[in-house]
Amino acid sequence: MITDLGFWTLQALNALQLSMLLFLLSVGLTVIFGLMHFVNLAHGALYALGAYFAASVAAMWGYWAALLLAPVAVAGVGVLLYSGFIQRMRKSGPMAQVLVTFGLIFVLLDMTRIVWGDLPLAIEVPAMLGGRLAVLGVEYPTYRVFIIVLGLVVLGGLAFVLGRTQIGAMIRAGVDNDEMAACLGINVERLFFCVFCVGCALAGLAGVVAAPLLSVSPDMSLQILIPTLIVIVIGGLCLLQRGVAGALLFGFVQTFGAVLAPQLSSVLIYALLAAVLVIKPVGLFPAKG
Amino acid sequence: MFRHTPLRYAALVLLASAALFQAFTAQYFGLEILTEILILAMLVLALDMVAGFGGMVSLCHGALMGVGAYGYAVLSTTAGLTPPVAMGAAVAITAGLSWIIGAICSRSHGIYFIMATLAFGQMAYSYVFEAPIFGGDDGLGGIERLDLSVVGIDLNDTRTFALFCLVALAAMYGLAVVILRSGLGRSFSGVMHNEQRMRALGLTVWRVKADVFGLSGMIAGVAGVLAAQHIMYISPGLMAWTVSGEALVVVILGGLGTLVGPLVGAAVFVVLKHELSSLTTHWHLIVGVILIGVVMSRANGIFGFIEDFVAARSKSANTNPKAREGTKDA
Repeated sequence: MITDLGFWTLQALNALQLSMLLFLLSVGLTVIFGLMHFVNLAHGALYALGAYFAASVAAMWGYWAALLLAPVAVAGVGVLLYSGFIQRMRKSGPMAQVLVTFGLIFVLLDMTRIVWGDLPLAIEVPAMLGGRLAVLGVEYPTYRVFIIVLGLVVLGGLAFVLGRTQIGAMIRAGVDNDEMAACLGINVERLFFCVFCVGCALAGLAGVVAAPLLSVSPDMSLQILIPTLIVIVIGGLCLLQRGVAGALLFGFVQTFGAVLAPQLSSVLIYALLAAVLVIKPVGLFPAKG
Repeated sequence: MFRHTPLRYAALVLLASAALFQAFTAQYFGLEILTEILILAMLVLALDMVAGFGGMVSLCHGALMGVGAYGYAVLSTTAGLTPPVAMGAAVAITAGLSWIIGAICSRSHGIYFIMATLAFGQMAYSYVFEAPIFGGDDGLGGIERLDLSVVGIDLNDTRTFALFCLVALAAMYGLAVVILRSGLGRSFSGVMHNEQRMRALGLTVWRVKADVFGLSGMIAGVAGVLAAQHIMYISPGLMAWTVSGEALVVVILGGLGTLVGPLVGAAVFVVLKHELSSLTTHWHLIVGVILIGVVMSRANGIFGFIEDFVAARSKSANTNPKAREGTKDA
């Protein structure tokens, strides 16, 4: 098993797929934290909402409509959250933000249970992505390849927007020093708002993409929250590159840990997080204020 | 630093008499709820000690309570120790473990401290969930209560056990007050207000933080031992991070840094939970709305709100309305 190259390729692909899913989730949270210094624990709940919206839309118009519409719907929920709570909590300390968004998790979780019921829902993988694909000499489900490709496309898109366009330059300036950016005539508030919506849409997208792999259940928001937070702290709250690094590190440690040392796998990832925080007590990207 | 105001004394007397009244008049179900309140109150007392007076907002106190519970369960059943020895050992193990966690996390602040403690809590949770010696996700059963028949007390009686928990809570409250008023507790508050200045005064900041965190963990460990004896069965669910999150919610609902407030919060939370869950299965929704409301109102929880209200009333009664801006007493 250990000497078989196909085994390693398969596990590497699994790890990559997990990393990409976490990347989609964590990048929104990272940018929201980096730009707004806002700790949004309800991000996982938005991911679950994305999956639920997808389940409803997919039942009516099929998977591809869900892939397009669910992130938009989640961004709409994000607009409501922003105008209702987050705008007012911007100036509060991290403690109050953690608590308000913790309360939001409770509320959103029960709202999904009221609307969609307690039973898990399932989404069919679209026929086009149903089969298996030969990748690097191993058979691998096409849908998982699709996730990896989608993650890479989003990564590429974000890298282009952040690194090459004027909006990206404005966002980077805002993350670096929001007061100075405001002095230079950038409408930082509006920028925050747009970034928040994009972050929510990405969380929704992650929900849609994950829905066919996992069953859509009310507690998926709590299950994903901790891994996402770990990715952010390990990777550091920097923009893109480190978010990717954190997601990859998590994906590979988790997947290979589960295969090579099943006894230790669940403890391993938390030990990694603890180690990072021991070496860098303020995280890899110190937050201001 | 922690001070007892007349209002806090009054609240304590009120709480204690309500608990005693409940303990002597209630039937089985009422006593079960009372015991649940008392154990939760002990956990949030431990959490308020570090979060309210030292700014160490921990998300691993639920797991620490679980360490106490599992420590007692394993030592008294598998290892075959007598209950008093097992209790002492479990509490000591919890205290030692939380001292180590406190020492490691002492350099982190704010959200990073929350994340670091979360990591340690989840580490313990996942370990217990997987390890066969702890019964994995099946949990452990057959846990015995402390045998006090030598002095004629039968703890297997629900009413006696509730009173036992009340006595234990009173003792832990006294201990917390003594710790917070000691030199260690004062240094701890000083560290929260200005860590650099305390360091400049020659204080070993990490030691102070680790010591108080260890003592707080010890109280959480006592709560865990009592929880294990109460239900006589434990499962890893006791250590999940949502338990710590709920404890934090209770502290905030009651009033951070008032020590009395979290006790009020524990009573309100458990009663609310039972009342609401008999009405609707979506009681989390209501708790969430209340939590958001309390945090966004910027009042310091239920008890903090009452304290502010009373302070404002007495101030306007005592002083000339035109010279109302005097120095504010804590």
